[in-house]
Amino acid sequence: MSNPMEQFEIKPLIPLELGGYDISFTNSSLFMVSAVVVSTLLFAFCLRRRTIVPSISQSIPESIYEFISGLIKENAGTDALKYFPFIFTLFLFVAMGNLLGLLPYAFTFTSHLAAVGGLSLIALFFNICIGIRKKGWGYLRTFMPRGIPAALAPLIIPIEMISFLSKPFSLTVRLVANMTVGHIMLKIIAGFVLALGIGGIVPIAFNGCIIVFEMFIALLQAFIYTVLSCIYLSDAIHSH
Amino acid sequence: MPQLDPAWYPSQLFWLCVCFFTMLFIMGKIFTPRIADILARRQHKIDDYLVKANQIQEQAEESLKKYHEALAKATEDANAAIELAHKELGEYIAKKQDDLTRKLNEKIKDGEAEINREKEKALKEVRGISEELALDIVKKIGLTEIKAQDIKEAISKVAND
Repeated sequence: MSNPMEQFEIKPLIPLELGGYDISFTNSSLFMVSAVVVSTLLFAFCLRRRTIVPSISQSIPESIYEFISGLIKENAGTDALKYFPFIFTLFLFVAMGNLLGLLPYAFTFTSHLAAVGGLSLIALFFNICIGIRKKGWGYLRTFMPRGIPAALAPLIIPIEMISFLSKPFSLTVRLVANMTVGHIMLKIIAGFVLALGIGGIVPIAFNGCIIVFEMFIALLQAFIYTVLSCIYLSDAIHSH
Repeated sequence: MPQLDPAWYPSQLFWLCVCFFTMLFIMGKIFTPRIADILARRQHKIDDYLVKANQIQEQAEESLKKYHEALAKATEDANAAIELAHKELGEYIAKKQDDLTRKLNEKIKDGEAEINREKEKALKEVRGISEELALDIVKKIGLTEIKAQDIKEAISKVAND
């Protein structure tokens, strides 16, 4: 039986270097680019004829749009709608990364700490920028809410900072853990197919069910990632 | 775990930034405005249809109101016409009844006069017959001293009583 962790190994495809750093185009990069290309092609195809009465293909991007729009309004308020493209792209990028990873021999870049952590840091940086833009340096009040005695500052500020920085950490760990565990499970069960011979039909059928379940998990995790990003965005816009 | 190998972090972060911001640009500048535009156009169309529907409903309500007014007026006119017809018919019937009563009374009166005339005539005839009969009886039984004049007077007296 092959090592179930092997599927997460990064393999360089085109070696590249920038400023002394290895920025090779890897299998992970390939699937990130694939997520962008597939999303672009899908949207371009679905929106090739934009009609008032939508076709089935046109209703797909419209449904995603309205779904994300509803999500933002519900979790961050109507004034957060101006940041719609960011949240929309976040959802689509994570969902595509998760779904493409379910294809045979595919690589799931959302199962990697660096990729998801980087994405969470981008979201965090985005929220900080919005907070500073809206409230100026008063945004720093996030770490020291009004009404709290100054004597408690040495205690409150570190707690608030840990709480603030744990947001991208929790986002990252949740998604990475879910994707990693799902793919390990698929790989282990697939390993039984050859080992059991004719009885391998049982793990194949089971894997089929797990893949359907994983597709649901892929979309659910993208949804959770987006909802939490909306809540953090709401904190940046409305906090204290 | 390959996920914890920091050797690939720069590459992953670099390509993540490239891909994510490319996708953000494509979605933000091309696709989301297109979807927003079509949704706005659809909403505009729906709003137009709703406005038109409201106008049509208002027109329909106005027409219904006019219809009810016309119906009420027609009902009122019809009631007035019926009342007038009733009145005219009543007057006509009363007039006809009066005419008929008058004619009937005249006919009764004529009939009574005719009856009286016939009665008089019959009485006269009965008196003549009675006189003749009495005279014949008197002759047959041989009472010669009783004259025709006496019989006539006697019968006249009985008839007058």
